[in-house]
Amino acid sequence: MNNLERMAGWIPPLIDASKITLSLSVISVVLGMVAGTFIALGRISANKAVSRACSVYIFIFRGTPLLMQLFFVWYALPLAIPELTIQNRFLAACIAFTINSAAYQAEIIRAAIQSIDSGQMEAAKSLGLTYAQAMRHIIIPQSIKRLIPPVGNEFIMVLKDTSLVSTIALVDLMKRTSQIQSSASTALVYLPSAALYLIFTAVFTYLFSWLEKRHSVYE
Amino acid sequence: MALIEAKSICKSFGDLAVLKNVSLSVGQGEVVCIIGPSGAGKSTFLRTLNHLESITSGQIVIDGQLLDDRADGVNRSPLSKKEESAILLEMGMVFQRFNIFPHKTVLENVMLAPLHVRKMSKEDARARAEDLIGRVGLTDKLGVYPSKLSGGQQQRVAIARALAMEPKIMLFDEPTSALDPELVGEVLAVIKKLASVGMTMLIVTHEIGFARDVADKVVFMYDGTILEEGAPQDIFSNPQNERTRTFLQAVL
Repeated sequence: MNNLERMAGWIPPLIDASKITLSLSVISVVLGMVAGTFIALGRISANKAVSRACSVYIFIFRGTPLLMQLFFVWYALPLAIPELTIQNRFLAACIAFTINSAAYQAEIIRAAIQSIDSGQMEAAKSLGLTYAQAMRHIIIPQSIKRLIPPVGNEFIMVLKDTSLVSTIALVDLMKRTSQIQSSASTALVYLPSAALYLIFTAVFTYLFSWLEKRHSVYE
Repeated sequence: MALIEAKSICKSFGDLAVLKNVSLSVGQGEVVCIIGPSGAGKSTFLRTLNHLESITSGQIVIDGQLLDDRADGVNRSPLSKKEESAILLEMGMVFQRFNIFPHKTVLENVMLAPLHVRKMSKEDARARAEDLIGRVGLTDKLGVYPSKLSGGQQQRVAIARALAMEPKIMLFDEPTSALDPELVGEVLAVIKKLASVGMTMLIVTHEIGFARDVADKVVFMYDGTILEEGAPQDIFSNPQNERTRTFLQAVL
């Protein structure tokens, strides 16, 4: 077998493992965005205690390594609180990545919200909208377009960072790559594997720029 | 009866006093123009009335209801949040920079508050919005986004948007200052039309000719105080205060 044929043979198992990589990325970024929105709103809230708590959250989960957070959920949490043992590796990875991504996206969302001209909030208030209504109908819809590029960036970071789950023996693209490397005794497998990562990031980069264009209709 | 009764309004940002004992009364159907140099506190005063700025001390009575009663920054008003919001709805505001919602069409801009604040049905809100947009002369722009409109058209949409809440009082904060000179006229014409149907209005403006035309009363503010107020012909042709004279000489 020549090298090309060998590489072609690895592609199906690599793609199979990519399901974990992709689903973990999408789930974490989507859930992280939902949680991040609330954390961002809490961070800019007039309630000092809420704002403080959200700042602390962001400080902790942006300030410690993602790998450590993953180990904490998978290894440390069951030791500390046995009731919180998570049996499923994929679920543990989702939790760790969501918690982490929420912290990053909270800052992205806060910045986008605060970049909206303050006159918009004033106009909404002068029309009698409550703060929550103004956020929902006026401020957040306008910040979405500004969110798309940094969230796209965050998505690509998460997509690559999912390779960390190979350390808790979850078989993602990275883990499958190193399994093939040791069984086939060759580093050649990194070529198709890297190509797959690049294809994924390319597809999502395109998707995010399409979203950005679609949200520019009113400009 | 006065619709707006502001009594001894004081407002400070830290150590900086921007309003010093400003008292003003605006009667039903009256049009009052506030003029004066920039930094005089005209806009701040207007913004305290509808709570975009809080006052440090003084009283604000809107349509006979005590909206604000403060001393040394402490709120003594017994109103609940809900009662307060209800009174605030009696005032509509138009801003210098239009503050139109860019992600909503003209029609949606005008429909939004009646839908979500007044809880009107879609059909009613739409009918009202179309009527108001027609009255500011923009019927052909219903489905258009604000970025496709000129400044004058955006400001007219903003006026229609404020009117959609059926306020008893309209506050205008330099409504033509951000406009190209050739667009000022169309906005002033809409405001004049409002005056002719008896809308109570408080207008901060630099358009002296317009103030002379439309105002029942002109107020000259300087350095956080009202230095002079009176009928436009008196203020403009025979100002009593030296500062008023200097200001008018500079702008006329």
